[in-house]
Amino acid sequence: MNTVLCRSDAVDGTSTPCLPPPATPSYMVDHHVVEGIEERPALAPHTDTDARLLVRLIQCRQCSKPFSSPVTMPCGHTVCQRCLPAPQRRVNISYPQTLDHQLGILCPVCGQENSTADCNVDVTVSKIMALLVDYVSRWTAKHAEVVLTLEEVPQPPNDALISEKEMKGHVAQYGGGRLAGTFQMAVDGLLDYWADVAYSKSPGCEKDDLEDLDLDHFNSLRDAISTEMDCMVCYNTMLDPTTTPCGHTFCRHCLMRTLDHSIICPVCRRDVYLSPSLLYQPKNHCLASILDQVWPEVVAARKHTVSEEERPEGALDVPLFVCTLALPGMPCFLHIFEPRYRLMMRRCMEGNRKFGMLMYNQASTSQGDLGVTRFLEYGTLLHIVNFQLLPDGRSLVETVGVSRFRVIEHGMLDGYDVGRIERVDDISLGTEKRLEATEVGTAQSQAALYNAQHPPVPMTAANCPELLTTIELFQACKQYILDMRARSAPWLSERLVRAYGDCPDDPATFPYWFAAVLPIAEEQKYLLLRTTSVRERLKIVYMWIRRIEGQRLLLPRCGGYIGNILATCMGGFHASLTAFISTS
Amino acid sequence: MALPKRIIKETERLMAEPVKGISAVPHEDNLRYFDVTIEGPEQSPYEGGVFKLELFLPDDYPMTPPKIRFLTKIYHPNIDRLGRICLDVLKGNWSPALQIRTILLSIQALLGAPNPDDPLANDVAQKWKEDQNAAIETARQWTREHAKP
Ligand SMILES: [Zn+2]
Ligand SMILES: [Zn+2]
Ligand SMILES: [Zn+2]
Ligand SMILES: [Zn+2]
Repeated sequence: MNTVLCRSDAVDGTSTPCLPPPATPSYMVDHHVVEGIEERPALAPHTDTDARLLVRLIQCRQCSKPFSSPVTMPCGHTVCQRCLPAPQRRVNISYPQTLDHQLGILCPVCGQENSTADCNVDVTVSKIMALLVDYVSRWTAKHAEVVLTLEEVPQPPNDALISEKEMKGHVAQYGGGRLAGTFQMAVDGLLDYWADVAYSKSPGCEKDDLEDLDLDHFNSLRDAISTEMDCMVCYNTMLDPTTTPCGHTFCRHCLMRTLDHSIICPVCRRDVYLSPSLLYQPKNHCLASILDQVWPEVVAARKHTVSEEERPEGALDVPLFVCTLALPGMPCFLHIFEPRYRLMMRRCMEGNRKFGMLMYNQASTSQGDLGVTRFLEYGTLLHIVNFQLLPDGRSLVETVGVSRFRVIEHGMLDGYDVGRIERVDDISLGTEKRLEATEVGTAQSQAALYNAQHPPVPMTAANCPELLTTIELFQACKQYILDMRARSAPWLSERLVRAYGDCPDDPATFPYWFAAVLPIAEEQKYLLLRTTSVRERLKIVYMWIRRIEGQRLLLPRCGGYIGNILATCMGGFHASLTAFISTS
Repeated sequence: MALPKRIIKETERLMAEPVKGISAVPHEDNLRYFDVTIEGPEQSPYEGGVFKLELFLPDDYPMTPPKIRFLTKIYHPNIDRLGRICLDVLKGNWSPALQIRTILLSIQALLGAPNPDDPLANDVAQKWKEDQNAAIETARQWTREHAKP
């Protein structure tokens, strides 16, 4: 690729000292990768190529002059306002209904059609241009004695062979060094956007340390425009600069967060009609290229810190959503509208799509080592299976419970809770079996002793689930589902079963499914999250069933065995179901 | 939780280029919490007074506005007995492009131009509308009593 032009040939065989020929990087020759400039390593600012490349960053592709009233279109490309093609009527656009949305402008760079309403002067690029013009002219006046001859070296737009004559470029003399000269050449309309430049000292120019001069100039320009590169929201150098239709530019994530809260531009307060999924809005290519070329270290450092900042400090690495009860293996549907949770969901989607769901601690009870927190300490880790973003920024999120956890430590990140969590798992099957054997054995001998005294209410499986083996408990619970189906209980409707799946055959997961479909208070269901054995969960479910079935019998309490679940027996099936609020 | 760069920069600028008549100093143990003083603007009933305020930057600042209230008692139609301030930029008109400095300037301006038509302290606003001179005199008196420099 480097062989398209040989620069030394372009200079006449005069005696003027020729600057060392630059090593033209291959990308300078390939014309169709300009958008990719930002991916490239930064260039030291003191070679010929750099002066040329730096000036190209602010050259209009249409007129090849430095931008004048630059307009950045929604496609992310910038041209001078006067270089915008005439608007044309768009087809199949009915919303918004204003005339300037009915008219479209074809981007001269990428060909995308942009609504005329969205093609406004880019405030940041305009300010940069004003500063550059000012600083370059002052610099040139100060260093007028450093006169260079610049020769435009046209580059054909493709590899086609072009005759010598067509390749002839403009030649001009400028003071101020290479950077200043190249800029001025572009201002004078003598430097095609694609063309390269060959530099040589004009006769009489004695300047030796040209590189230092250019470097000084570069640094002064960089300092001059650096504050324009700060984001008005985070006060950092802009990261992934994204421009609104009103022409204001922010870091992409800052603009997204702002729009989570309000759809107006933070600077001019005009409405911002941007898709809430700014993730797909093209960046401001011009500003992004300037940042990447002129401040490569800053950009790299920013990328790094943002990923650090967005990760909660230390081990508080799990976003926590305090909202409702979720159960392992069960789906949980959420409607997200609060700005801080929109942010949380977006970060989840960019990350591992997981977050913890916790219930509110409505009774303000102490949560273990955490003390009184606004949430209950046990929760369910949810995985986002489907994320649907609505046009107004709200979202519908379909999740499924992955595992249970307990919060070990917690904090806040940008308004939402984050925490360090510990997974809650069942004990091993071996331990489970031993536990079952001991418990059933103890309960049976206690029942024998107790019943021998002929109490009015003897101890039976109906009031003492410990008397049943784990499998018996499971079968009893499943039988209840069958009975309810036969009676067409409303809470076992087709619709619910479709949402939560059919009744599982696994005793370990059955209680979660049962809790998902049974209309009882969440505080009751919460007890399942704390269990560490299948048997424990089945006993809880079993006692719910006993309560529901025995609602009118007013079962007396029996020893400590029924301790954890107490029923408030009320009349009417549904009343008792819904009023099954914990008194434990 | 690490302090966002923005808060650090704002604090640095507040210290380096203080605004005339306004000071804002962060607490050593909580850099989101500022002790603020605002001098009553000249030619206002609050002239000569130094008013203490507290300012807190919430977790999602600058997406949400700073929380700020007067600690010094002040007789003003847009500031209630608890020191809460009725100012549009502290509510719906907040924008993340605003900053602590601009908010404090707005509050100082509010002292210079009380607006009884958009009141927070209804009784004060009522007095202000019924008898402005008397209200201004009360404001002066409160300033002398409570906002001693
Ligand atoms: Zn142009
Ligand atoms: Zn384009
Ligand atoms: Zn930003
Ligand atoms: Zn704007």
